Amino acid sequence: MNDVFTRPPRPARNWALIIGAVTAVTLMTWWSGRGIGFSLTELACNLPGGSRLLVESWPPEFSYFPRLLAPLLETLQIAVVGTVIGGILAVPVAVLAARNLTPGFLVWFVDRNFMNILRTLPDLFWAMLFAAAVGFGPIAGALALTVFTIAVISKLWSESLEAINMGVPEAVRASGGSWLQMLQFGAIPQALPHYVSYALYAFELNVRASMILGLVGAGGIGMVLETQRSTFEYPRVTLIVLCVLVIVLIIEQVSESIRRRLI
Amino acid sequence: MIHEAAIRFERARVVYANGAVGLAGVDLSIAPGEFVVVVGSSGAGKSTLLRAVNGLTPLTAGSVAVHGQPVPRKEGRELRQLRAQVGMIFQDFRITRRLTVMTNVLVGRVAHVPGWRAMLNLWPEADREIAFRALERVGITDKAWVRAGDLSGGQQQRVGIARALAQEPAIILADEPVASLDPVTTHQIMRDLVRINQELGITTVVNLHFLDLARRYGQRIIGLRAGEVVYDGSASTVTQNDFRHIYGRDPDAGDVLDEDAAP
Ligand SMILES: Nc1ncnc2c1ncn2[C@@H]1O[C@H](COP(=O)(O)OP(=O)(O)O)[C@@H](O)[C@H]1O
Ligand SMILES: [Mg+2]
Repeated sequence: MNDVFTRPPRPARNWALIIGAVTAVTLMTWWSGRGIGFSLTELACNLPGGSRLLVESWPPEFSYFPRLLAPLLETLQIAVVGTVIGGILAVPVAVLAARNLTPGFLVWFVDRNFMNILRTLPDLFWAMLFAAAVGFGPIAGALALTVFTIAVISKLWSESLEAINMGVPEAVRASGGSWLQMLQFGAIPQALPHYVSYALYAFELNVRASMILGLVGAGGIGMVLETQRSTFEYPRVTLIVLCVLVIVLIIEQVSESIRRRLI
Repeated sequence: MIHEAAIRFERARVVYANGAVGLAGVDLSIAPGEFVVVVGSSGAGKSTLLRAVNGLTPLTAGSVAVHGQPVPRKEGRELRQLRAQVGMIFQDFRITRRLTVMTNVLVGRVAHVPGWRAMLNLWPEADREIAFRALERVGITDKAWVRAGDLSGGQQQRVGIARALAQEPAIILADEPVASLDPVTTHQIMRDLVRINQELGITTVVNLHFLDLARRYGQRIIGLRAGEVVYDGSASTVTQNDFRHIYGRDPDAGDVLDEDAAP
């Protein structure tokens, strides 16, 4: 038998794998760059054009600000409605997708695939879909963000739920509790801080997304941004971008401080 | 009708999905109001025996009945009603640390109140009273509104006992309730269990690892070995030889709590 104090020799590195991986990534990048016509020289040649745009956009047209208030507020309202409704609907979606809590394989399977479909389709797709269904405007935006919120929270939270200690849920069952009571008193309290944290995260994403959604006519500041851009009012565009930046930063700070207090 | 057993096993077998044998044909009858201690080495089937009584682990053959009513093998209303009369206490307490002591104890009432009331946390006054009396019985009434996770180990186990008492159960099952506690707290908790059995007449089955505790607190001792009952007799007459038979080896210092009082 081997002496336990013998130091084993350091295993050799797998050079073939390392070189192979580096080569593969390099080739793939080169091939992709060529495919989309990306070239550093062309980029350098076009820089003056880009800088002209920047010069034209500066300074921001601050006098335009009062007319931004209503659409900014609408953007926030779209984000709030989408986060709250999506956050509520995400609860059953997440619970049914958690292997340790789901009542049966079939429910789990259907719900998992439902979740994957929601997540695979981008928020812009949902915005266009709802804009076509209920007309251009904030309702379409709120509906798109509802779906987006369900996708974000349910995926993350179902993983938190799968990681809980199943001892307490079993104790609730042992007291004669039903499946719902097992969830309410045994499972969900353990994962509640995660839920709040993910809901705040979804809200941050939604404020950001509600700007983009406006581009396809789903209400809010994005719709103003799109009209100003298409009429070449670049100083106004700058002001809009600055406003959104400030709002997103504030929301991030606030939700980060709430989150730190939670966990 | 002749005296009905509180718990009756008949040729009860449990074979787990991986082939492990939990119970290998157990015949056992426990009378109402008895205080029974189950001993046996790790893996002997003690937990399986208790969990068969409230259907957490269904039998694969034979039968187990509580007050003459067979324990259903499937989850459902019938099993929940049976569990409502059987309290369970766990080695790892299984309380929700972030909820108050009161909420944890009220979980013992879930099977007794309308579902919507439990759901909305609108517990009837009578049920809150029952929860308070359960806390009085284990002497931690003053902790009612404290976060359960802020209590000491012994106090957390008392919350577990109070939750079981809040069920107003006919039977209490305790699966190694003192295995994660220090010696002083161990004796306090064991005395609590004996006192509750005497004052309320609740049939009590306690799994214990320590022989001296079994001898000191048990009325009747049941010895399990490889899923079979190999000893069943009075705690006052159990001998060193019996323990040797139950454990399949000589009991040593690891099998007693107080090393001074080693067998
Ligand atoms: N969930 C389970 N799955 C598979 N085997 C199990 C499970 N629970 C217990 N067993 C096995 O059943 C036997 C009895 O276990 P258990 O009842 O937990 O014994 P004890 O409580 O006396 O330590 C052991 O061999 C154990 O490995
Ligand atoms: Mg055990």
